[in-house]
Amino acid sequence: MSSRNGINTEQWIDVEHKTVSPRVFADPELYRLEQDKIFAHCWLFVAHESQIPNPGDFITNTMGDESVIICRDLEGQIRGFVNSCRHRGMRICRTDQGNTKLLQCPYHSWTYSLQGKLLGHDKEEGGGVFGGLKREDWGLIPVPRIESYRGLIFACFDENAESLDDYLGDVKWYLDLLLNRTAGGMVPFPGTHKWTMNANWKFAAEQFSGDVYHVGAHESLFRMNLLTMSLFMKAKPDARNYHMKTEQGHSWLTIENTLPPGALSEEVGQFYARVKAEAATRLTAAQNELVDNTNVGFVFPNLGIVSLLGMVTFRLWQPRGLNRMDIWSWGFVDRDAPPAVMTASREVLDRTFSSAGLFEQDDLEMWEGCTQGAQGFYRKRFPLNYQTGWRHEDRDPQRPGRIDELLSDYGSFHFYQRWQELLRNGTTAGK
Amino acid sequence: MSTSDLRREFEDLLYHEAWLLDHDRLEEWLDLFADTIHYWAPVRSNKVRGKEDLHHHNLVAHFDDDKTALMMRVQRIRTGAAHADEPPSRVRHFISNVRVLEATSDQVQVTSNFIVFKSRRDRDETLFVGCREDRWRRSDGRWKLEERFIILDHDVIGNLTVLL
Repeated sequence: MSSRNGINTEQWIDVEHKTVSPRVFADPELYRLEQDKIFAHCWLFVAHESQIPNPGDFITNTMGDESVIICRDLEGQIRGFVNSCRHRGMRICRTDQGNTKLLQCPYHSWTYSLQGKLLGHDKEEGGGVFGGLKREDWGLIPVPRIESYRGLIFACFDENAESLDDYLGDVKWYLDLLLNRTAGGMVPFPGTHKWTMNANWKFAAEQFSGDVYHVGAHESLFRMNLLTMSLFMKAKPDARNYHMKTEQGHSWLTIENTLPPGALSEEVGQFYARVKAEAATRLTAAQNELVDNTNVGFVFPNLGIVSLLGMVTFRLWQPRGLNRMDIWSWGFVDRDAPPAVMTASREVLDRTFSSAGLFEQDDLEMWEGCTQGAQGFYRKRFPLNYQTGWRHEDRDPQRPGRIDELLSDYGSFHFYQRWQELLRNGTTAGK
Repeated sequence: MSTSDLRREFEDLLYHEAWLLDHDRLEEWLDLFADTIHYWAPVRSNKVRGKEDLHHHNLVAHFDDDKTALMMRVQRIRTGAAHADEPPSRVRHFISNVRVLEATSDQVQVTSNFIVFKSRRDRDETLFVGCREDRWRRSDGRWKLEERFIILDHDVIGNLTVLL
């Protein structure tokens, strides 16, 4: 079966044999198709509400490779616009964040309200400058859908998309392990880690979709006794160690912590004991099994989450071309954490999962190398293998999603199945 | 000692440090640091002129290391399995614009600019550019670095496997 535009996705994702063609990382036409069919249709994380608390606050981000402004209008409603003037396309916001009453293009001074209406021109007197223009037709291009889940703002270019609530579906239960474990929820630290690599974004997405095998990339940390393999060797899923995936392509890995004593300072340890006690009153018994686990989450298509050692990152894999990806990462912390805990959490983030992080560096090397490996004209004829694992798949009334063991290519392949579905259908609604 | 003598002394020291980094003598490099070192490089952002605050409380950082964290970076490379830098990248540090700002008999504030060139695989080339604000203290006749505040001139940055 071919997609409407003639690209035969079945040739690339072989569901029967669980293989993926290297061409999915090497075809420029496919990159454009992903933007149109996936990034223009899925709900994408764009900001946290606490980053734009006041009327007039704005922040810029990208949805796929489209630059957007996310702002809180003067009435307090959160809105999103394509960051490009309707006149000549100039970028309107050239700062990452700020506060403003109007959005004004620096080129010809086209001036918009925070509701996106074209108001006029700041040099204008008596309407002469805008002679002949129907202003009501030339407002900023809105991002039609903006919805939040526990402080996370998501935006969607597809007017007809399902609600964010339905889109997130079963992964909400897992997001709540972090976002609903305390009454205050979690908030991002100031500043964004941004780093770049010559890699296709899908290698990051598929890894977070459930690739525990990749711990070999972090061999240096095993040799330093910062990681222990036994952590990952549970063959069968149990209440505290499993992988789950959802129909919408989201997934979650949860792994019991085996922290050596003294890994956390006394104050940090005490705080997380308090968090655990509070979580017990807010979450289900099954969730409470996982609340102090190492948790790795993935919200399709490009939001990744890591929580371990008192550190939490929410990061976007920002596609910047076929072989170019930027990562934008925010450290999250419990809003009510005392200052020493906040600082400890940020330090762990900076040292492990940041632009210079001891974990992160090696992942980047792998994603670049895989991207390069997929480009070879002869290599492209041979598929990539996603066949390992596959021993269990189950439902559990206590635990949402389809449950599987940790060590499996199941999750990563699932990402491509969802990816293929969307390329074919181009919509998330009514799959 | 005059300021220009002191400047010359620190130019020598900073060039020596760069040489250590470029020649994989990382243990000797660590030995330049006081046990209380704070080695720190906050992230940058695009803000209206005058609004960027690099000292904002808990602003996330590319580096925010104490001595133990720096030692771990070196240990990691010595495992032989730090894939992001094995085989090692070719790295060259260029240090310039050395200024001695404040000096007492045992403490000196020194600023310098750097360009660090990194070449990896056949043709992946990355530059890291910025400045350092250092505080050095004399202890037992040797200068030891107590604080290095690194201001990188990048928003989105390449794989920071290099030490600055």
